[in-house]
Amino acid sequence: MNRYNIKQMIQVSNLSKSFDTIHAVNNISFSIRKGEVFGLLGPNGAGKSTIINLMSTILKSDEGEILINENDIKQNSTICKQLIGVVPQEISLYDEFSAVDNLIFWGSLYKVPAKILKQRIKNILKLIGLYDRKDDLIKTYSGGMKRRINIAAALLHNPEILFMDEPTVGVDPQSRNKIFEIIETLNQQGITIVYTTHYMEEVERLCKRIAIMDAGKIVAQGTQTELQKQSNVKEAVQITFQLISEVQLEQLQSQLQIKINQSEQKIIIECDVNKDLSNIISICNKSNLRIKDIKLKKANLEAIFLSLTGKQLRD
Amino acid sequence: MILTIFKKDLKLFFADRKGVLLTFLMPILLITLFAFAFGGIGGGSSKAEPIKLLVSDLDNSSDSKSVIASLQALRELTLIPKEVIEATNLVHKGKNVGVLILKKGFQDSISAGNNLPMELKYDAAREIEMGMLQSVLMQSLMSTVGQKSIKAKMNTYFDTNFSGMPQEMKEKIFNNMDAIKGGMNTSAENNMGLKMTSIVKESTKIGNLGLIQAVAGTAIMMLLFSIAAIGGGLLDEKESGTLKRLFYSPLKPTDILFGKMGAALVLAILQLVVMFVFSWLVFGLPIFKDFTSLVLMILATAFAVSSFGIFLVAIAKTRQQLQGLSTIVILTMSAIGGSMIPLFVMPAIMQKIAVVSVNYWGIQGFYDIFWRSLPLIEILPKMGILVAIGLVMTLISVLLFKRNVLKLMHN
Ligand SMILES: Nc1ncnc2c1ncn2[C@@H]1O[C@H](COP(=O)(O)OP(=O)(O)OP(=O)(O)O)[C@@H](O)[C@H]1O
Ligand SMILES: [Mg+2]
Repeated sequence: MNRYNIKQMIQVSNLSKSFDTIHAVNNISFSIRKGEVFGLLGPNGAGKSTIINLMSTILKSDEGEILINENDIKQNSTICKQLIGVVPQEISLYDEFSAVDNLIFWGSLYKVPAKILKQRIKNILKLIGLYDRKDDLIKTYSGGMKRRINIAAALLHNPEILFMDEPTVGVDPQSRNKIFEIIETLNQQGITIVYTTHYMEEVERLCKRIAIMDAGKIVAQGTQTELQKQSNVKEAVQITFQLISEVQLEQLQSQLQIKINQSEQKIIIECDVNKDLSNIISICNKSNLRIKDIKLKKANLEAIFLSLTGKQLRD
Repeated sequence: MILTIFKKDLKLFFADRKGVLLTFLMPILLITLFAFAFGGIGGGSSKAEPIKLLVSDLDNSSDSKSVIASLQALRELTLIPKEVIEATNLVHKGKNVGVLILKKGFQDSISAGNNLPMELKYDAAREIEMGMLQSVLMQSLMSTVGQKSIKAKMNTYFDTNFSGMPQEMKEKIFNNMDAIKGGMNTSAENNMGLKMTSIVKESTKIGNLGLIQAVAGTAIMMLLFSIAAIGGGLLDEKESGTLKRLFYSPLKPTDILFGKMGAALVLAILQLVVMFVFSWLVFGLPIFKDFTSLVLMILATAFAVSSFGIFLVAIAKTRQQLQGLSTIVILTMSAIGGSMIPLFVMPAIMQKIAVVSVNYWGIQGFYDIFWRSLPLIEILPKMGILVAIGLVMTLISVLLFKRNVLKLMHN
């Protein structure tokens, strides 16, 4: 398929928003295609929630333009609101109501006819695995269960786009996995998803394309491979031998046809880890080199973020 | 959309059992307490401002005029001449404490030494003022017409029994009388013949002023508190994040406010109904006496009070702020408006200040129904003021809310 035919669901250009002296969002542009899971990765205070608030029309930008399915959000905010579902960072539900009552309320704000709404609530509760607990008050739910209802409340009007602002904060691994499954299911149904987090594993698992944010700016964006290229982070294998002589080293270097950095018994080989590792090991074996330790240096988002910003993603 | 929010807010209110209990049980307890406390109202005194007494001089003689002049000279009284009918009407409406009527034949009766044809029509709801008025009137009338009347009487007596008694001797006796005047007051008072007529009391026959004060006073004060609490839910929603979530949806921001107001209004009505029904069942308050007026008064009061409560919410930024603000404002308004201490025992200056409070208009309206037994048409102005207060407060709240919507979400 010609990539230029792919529909752009969200187009953000030159977006800026300041609070007093803080440039929370500083001249940001990106676009998101229909059906994509787009990750916004950044540390605390990077401006992720501010972007979500701007895109969901509840904050007014200082500058720039946001198009949702080609509708300008400033001119057609009602149309845009119907297209968007928002899962806020905080659990925003009525504690004193049951799950079902919460969902009925949130759904009726979008004028979903009662009968259809009821059916949808049933389906969604089954999807998130809480149908059995539907009549329990939210205040009796665990943190992970509340998170799931928090997601469900954003889906009742069948939005085409889902904004998820750190939907797994404070969630145990089991619930987190359940939430990932939910997101994957929703994406398979064709919903475009914008996902913010400061967990790189989440983005790696869920998102096709990623924007890395820091201090109100997008430092880099693209697929993981594209990001890796931009960041100059190379994958490498570090092998420590029990004993290696100068001659053996030269032999190895010529056989692998790869540049080798050496210090004492250690060598670091820049390579495509997935493709080249087994080859390297077998050559070492043939040369009778006894390996003491192997470390992989993957070009993951953690490393890419570090290389791009000089900062750790989390303290 | 407003309806959805409205239903949610009512549901939120009833989900909070403690709040519900407080809203309905607390006023009932207070009404009971106050009803007993005010049961034997009376005693206590208040001076300072002169009492405004209406006066109608039907005799229009030199004696009646001099009586009026001497009353006018008293520091405790301010006399306002009025036609009898108009004056009676004013007293009936609670505008003035009473009217002193000097009837035809006043002067003749003085010369004849007969009982004087005068009448004081008064509003028994203002017992304290009446007590003062009565003693002031008696003392004053005694020293002017009382002496004259007694001398006239004795003159006649001397003339019939001791005919031929020299005028000189009579003068001497009368002069001695003046010297011991203090001792004569009490016995002479009975001959004064000031007829006292309670206008209001007689026409209603309810007689339990304390109960009406207890119900009306308590109702409005408690109403203000519970509305401020209900409206405060808006600030809770801000803190819990649900307010922000409301803004994600396509509803208008003002829908949120109007929904809340609607819920507050309905609860205010409900609370008033519960209080009146309770007072009817337990204390026998005749709520069906003028049912239409009562219903309209309940609606007007509920509207004024609920929008006032929402106004408090609109100016507060946090729950704590609202708590402090509403406590101060509501207690102050209730105190000056007569919710805690009946207005009629307060000094006149306080009674004037009272008009700035919502409580005043509500309480006076209920007085009009149950105590003064005024027809609906006479109570309408008070209802109008309540509705006007409600409209102004609503308008201010809407403007404030619109201006603060963004702040509401992000701070
Ligand atoms: N209402 C506001 N008033 C003032 N400053 C704000 C406001 N909202 C956000 N900011 C500031 O803007 C910056 C970006 O905040 P934002 O909430 O968008 O970060 P984030 O990436 O979502 O962080 P986190 O991972 O902690 O949720 C921060 O410095 C924050 O302090
Ligand atoms: Mg955030």
